[in-house]
Amino acid sequence: MFNKLEGILMPIADKLGKNRVLIAIRDGFLISTPLLIVGSIFLLIANFPIPGWSETIASFAGEGWEAWFTNVSRATFNLTGLLTCLGTGYAFARELKGDKIQGAVVSLVAFVILTNTRIGSIPGVILEEGSIAAENGIDGLAFQFIGADGIFMGLVCSLLSVLIFTWVYKKGWTIKMPKGVPPAVADSFAALVPSAFVMTIFFVARILFGMTSFETAHQFVLEILQTPLKGMGDTLAANAIYSFACTFLWFFGINGPAVANSVYFIGNVLTIEQLAAFEAGKALPYIFTNPFSNFFCNFGGGGSTLSLVIVMLLFCKSQRIRQLGKLSIVPGIFGINEPIIFGLPVVLNPIIAIPFILVPMMNLFLSYFATLWEIIPRTTGVNLPWTTPIGFSGWLSTGSPMASIWQFFLLFLGCCVYFPFIKALDKQYLKEEMEASDDIEEEISFDDLDFDDL
Amino acid sequence: MKKIYLLCSQGMSTSLLASMMQDCANQHKLPIEIIAYPHGKLPSIIEKQSLPDAILLGPQVKYLLEETRERFEDLRIPILLINQDDYGMLNSEKILKRTLIAMKENKEKRNHESIDDI
Repeated sequence: MFNKLEGILMPIADKLGKNRVLIAIRDGFLISTPLLIVGSIFLLIANFPIPGWSETIASFAGEGWEAWFTNVSRATFNLTGLLTCLGTGYAFARELKGDKIQGAVVSLVAFVILTNTRIGSIPGVILEEGSIAAENGIDGLAFQFIGADGIFMGLVCSLLSVLIFTWVYKKGWTIKMPKGVPPAVADSFAALVPSAFVMTIFFVARILFGMTSFETAHQFVLEILQTPLKGMGDTLAANAIYSFACTFLWFFGINGPAVANSVYFIGNVLTIEQLAAFEAGKALPYIFTNPFSNFFCNFGGGGSTLSLVIVMLLFCKSQRIRQLGKLSIVPGIFGINEPIIFGLPVVLNPIIAIPFILVPMMNLFLSYFATLWEIIPRTTGVNLPWTTPIGFSGWLSTGSPMASIWQFFLLFLGCCVYFPFIKALDKQYLKEEMEASDDIEEEISFDDLDFDDL
Repeated sequence: MKKIYLLCSQGMSTSLLASMMQDCANQHKLPIEIIAYPHGKLPSIIEKQSLPDAILLGPQVKYLLEETRERFEDLRIPILLINQDDYGMLNSEKILKRTLIAMKENKEKRNHESIDDI
């Protein structure tokens, strides 16, 4: 039965792994993620979760010192729409084997063509009557369009414009230069016609959107795509499915999150919006941010196996499990658990599959209700690397030490759930080890290898 | 200096194995460099002209094996999947040996082919 299921899942994972659009979206986010993490750290310093922190620093740095730091964090997450657009444009052009940097900038231009560039004409912004600004207008890009609200817009613009660009390019509709013209000059002409196509199409699109009730393409994408998807992403059901998909894929030895995240990227959007709200001091809108699923649903990697490793070290007797426990505890603290997945193994192991799927699900449900009943605060959206160890991660991602205690409580519960299952496996391994005689591996000596042969 | 690249989805867990394999190679004074990368970065690394002599994939990205082989066929290097048990138990020595053998076989095959070409 497992073979049959594997036969179904492998091709799906393969398809998703190969899909150029999904790769481009994933890699596009990968380009902005390091910036968001660094920006988050700056924000964290400005709002460090220790009582009296702000006053202490202000005593020697002066009032308002936080602004130095929030300037940096704003420079990253208020630009996420643009960054996503650039990153995805670049990655998609790479996947389509087109001109990468040209793809990235043409995406950016397409994005701005559809954006309101007159501050006075932005809905909700009223300039003082009679002022110079109202008379002459102010040209500029408002953060509200290029930040978190612009993420989907960025994705749509970059995918479409790169698609058009490379299509025209590959049709050969370019201006060809005679031989002897330097390649860089020739390239700049080669991009001319494809760019013209992209920009004209977006120009027409802008006019057409202006005739609809949405008025702008931004509004359209926001209402039709971003808002409904966000609403779906912030539900327990969606996250339960996500959690199940991750652990279920791991059970077949497929990196679950790597596959699931290529489809489920809405978490990024929720996280960035949460962060923007936190930075602005507004009420935090969401529960299911990336830090929530990284730090409150899984400890020690997929399947929340840190609990399992602890039980293995404390209560198991077979050689195999003890050795694996020692190997896995340090990586496990940092959220890496492939040794467990393939060494125990979790893969195609029906005994371990039950708690492996159950424990993250339990964590998800309990943490959700703990957040609802305000036992733990909502995550602030501060983006920490997913390798941040338990305890620190809970405290820093919410600002409350209570969240750390909650993490350890879940870790303990996880140990209890894993205990009977791993003990059963331990017994089985012990028996095998008693029966097994040492078999000798075929040996190849490193010294016999001639390096010229390689 | 021979280069072996290890790939998984984020280059995290394979980096653990890579460093163990590197230790193993150093102990035996083998001129080999072993580096872990996220799978997605491979195209851009290869573009930058640092070509590997072998590529190993972690079992968690087994589903990417065929694609990787197709994509980097031109390199004519062994592209292998690490055995699940060895990966789990971090049997760095065994994995290194298997890779070296595969590299040796590959070289022999290439030599044959180039003779055929003549």
